[in-house]
Amino acid sequence: MASKPLFIMLASGEHEKIQLAAMIASVAAVSDRPVQVFVTMNAILAFRRGLTAEQRYHGGYFHEQFVTKNVPDAIDLFEQGKMLGEMQMWACSLVLDLNHWDAEKDLVEGLFDGPAGLAKFLADAEEGELITL
Amino acid sequence: MAERQTVDARGAFCPGPLMELIAALKLASVGDEVEVLSSDKGSVNDIPAWVAKVGHQFVGSTELDGYWSVVVKKAK
Repeated sequence: MASKPLFIMLASGEHEKIQLAAMIASVAAVSDRPVQVFVTMNAILAFRRGLTAEQRYHGGYFHEQFVTKNVPDAIDLFEQGKMLGEMQMWACSLVLDLNHWDAEKDLVEGLFDGPAGLAKFLADAEEGELITL
Repeated sequence: MAERQTVDARGAFCPGPLMELIAALKLASVGDEVEVLSSDKGSVNDIPAWVAKVGHQFVGSTELDGYWSVVVKKAK
């Protein structure tokens, strides 16, 4: 039986929550479970193009250990999930508009499938399970 | 003829060893085996669960000197 699709709403800019979202998304995607990720609020700041890990990630008890030890980078995990499984990532159009950002120019190259609104994401999420971080 | 390759993921934390295994399996042929060397005990438990979920074959795991050898056969 096919697994229910997994929908992840990532709103927190805290490194621990971004890391957990990346782990859940990538592992689910490579386990034959379709995944959609909606990135909004503070979380979008971590996906800005051209940042170093030090600039990108902040917050959480394990933050320092994530960046100093050999823990997979969250952006790399999202990319692996997309490459090896069925996964789509959407950038919240509200926060893009507020920051005057363009999903294709201002976010990590090749990671997002486009801007999206909350209503469509929530409607799609009725087909599966929704996790909010 | 089936082949075996080794992926050295020692030092990588979860889910690094699993993701490296999956990348190697993607490039392997059906019947090939991939051996992952992992110092992350969580991954040693995770890999058989992932293999069962997606339908590959878990060959076995062996504890070595501070790390594990986990072998998976590509079944599809």
